[in-house]
Amino acid sequence: MRNYLIETSGLTVYYGRHRGITDVDLTVEQGEVFGFLGPNGAGKTTTQRVLLDIIRPTSGKATIFGLDCQTQGVELRQRIGYLPGELALYKNMKASQFFKMYEYLRGQNGRKGYWQELAQRLDLDTSRKIGNFSRGNKQKVGIVAAFMNQPDLLILDEPTGGLDPLVQQTVLEMVREAKADGRTIFFSSHILPEVQAVADRVGIIRDGQLVTIQRVEELITQRVMRLNLTFEVLPPANAFPFEGVTELSRSERAVMLEVQENLPQVLTVAAQHNIQDIETINVSLEEIFLTYYGKGNGGNHV
Amino acid sequence: MFRLLWQELRFRRSAIIGWSLGLCFFPLVYIAIYPSVAEEMAGLADLELYQALGMNLGTFSDWVGSILIVFMPLVAAIYGIIDGIGTLAGEEEDGRLEMIVTLPLPRWQIVTAKALAFVISSIIMFVVVAVVSLLVFQSIQSQIETELTSGDLFTAVLMAWPLVFAVGMLSLFLAAFCANRRFASMIAAAVLVVGYFGSNLAVSTTALEPFEPFFLFTYLDASGTAVREGQAAGDMLVLLAMGLVSFTLALFFFQRRDLTVGLWPWQRARVV
Repeated sequence: MRNYLIETSGLTVYYGRHRGITDVDLTVEQGEVFGFLGPNGAGKTTTQRVLLDIIRPTSGKATIFGLDCQTQGVELRQRIGYLPGELALYKNMKASQFFKMYEYLRGQNGRKGYWQELAQRLDLDTSRKIGNFSRGNKQKVGIVAAFMNQPDLLILDEPTGGLDPLVQQTVLEMVREAKADGRTIFFSSHILPEVQAVADRVGIIRDGQLVTIQRVEELITQRVMRLNLTFEVLPPANAFPFEGVTELSRSERAVMLEVQENLPQVLTVAAQHNIQDIETINVSLEEIFLTYYGKGNGGNHV
Repeated sequence: MFRLLWQELRFRRSAIIGWSLGLCFFPLVYIAIYPSVAEEMAGLADLELYQALGMNLGTFSDWVGSILIVFMPLVAAIYGIIDGIGTLAGEEEDGRLEMIVTLPLPRWQIVTAKALAFVISSIIMFVVVAVVSLLVFQSIQSQIETELTSGDLFTAVLMAWPLVFAVGMLSLFLAAFCANRRFASMIAAAVLVVGYFGSNLAVSTTALEPFEPFFLFTYLDASGTAVREGQAAGDMLVLLAMGLVSFTLALFFFQRRDLTVGLWPWQRARVV
């Protein structure tokens, strides 16, 4: 049996009558970057908060490092760096005071004073009061706090929110370096290109249910394919009536199809209509994401 | 936990200084002016209005009891409410608690560190007020006739602390139990205000007599005798027990609590 770093089974959280997450079965492997995608209110933050024992599950179980999140939370939080989605800090403290306090309270696992290197890298002026910081600078404080202990697992909720593009790239580099050091990163995001850039696997959550978990490249290459088919004589409008096949557009001699299933049948029909050329178009993660969330699309529950 | 306690005390530095200075207003003004108002006050001793407010102003001991031993803890109890509720519900509402609970600390240690920080900070305030009272008293002692000694006054001030402890711990419990800060503050303030007026009115209104044990200030004797001879041990034990029970409940409910979601305890485990 495989040992996962994070493992949840049947994880369900209800807030009174309201659904948080339902039956989330999730695994994250040691040393991988796991991107957790979903629209607002889908259950990303709830899942992360259960992992950190901020919220207790209504049913189901979550373990990290093989330790139960609820009963062995102290031991596992020793090895976790966390960036909350709604970051709130002590406004009257200087950033340097905050990092010293945080280092003092956590007990230092990594290099002492490592926060200074991180702050310098993110171009954060630690001599200023946090209350005077812009949203982006506050986010930098949260990022430094999450990374400063060099934890084995980083749980980051929307880590690049509020950051300018250059700093976003720096944060993504930090994520890559953490992965190169053998650490594991579990992060949620709305920004799909950044997930595509750093994540090994993604989990998509919708309405509290995990819709799919895929390797990024598999998700891109396997799940949705976009074909531009050129014919000598254009086939009729209903030539591809297969499930999972959508005709996106047609011109004088070409038809653009989005194919999720039944590719052999599509190719058979295309051959019957004297196809002249097939062009495969790369589909971005964003477009795949939209196939799970698009209007009128029920999504493919996995 | 001691690291968190130390940090919590550091957060309270300004509060300790500010509230200590504020509470010193009572001895600095009301003890200092006694020589000039002593004769007038003696004449007001039998007024029902003052009695309804729990005030008996006949002698210096009565004056100290009615002003310092009642009103100073009453004001200090507001610090208890602000600190007790702000430190859990307040930090939860503004999001800072999320950073604290993700530290490698068990939740009981977080609550205990906050409770101890309140206890230490409020004791420091009372000691400061007791010392200032003592100094002011010594400066006017030659101008008044009283059986009260400096030691009696110092002890009398400190013996009022259990009431503040009870209010602080009750507030901590309400913060751990309630879904929001405003509601918790409202209940704590109601307990304090009703506890004050209720205990005073119960003395003169027979209809309220059966409820007297439920009023907080019933357990703080503001008479001149209590100032000279100290609070009844039983009353102090009731207040300390009330505080300890509230603290235990705070531990229990905070341990079970889903943080950051603003739900009541009975809503949390409900599955539809």
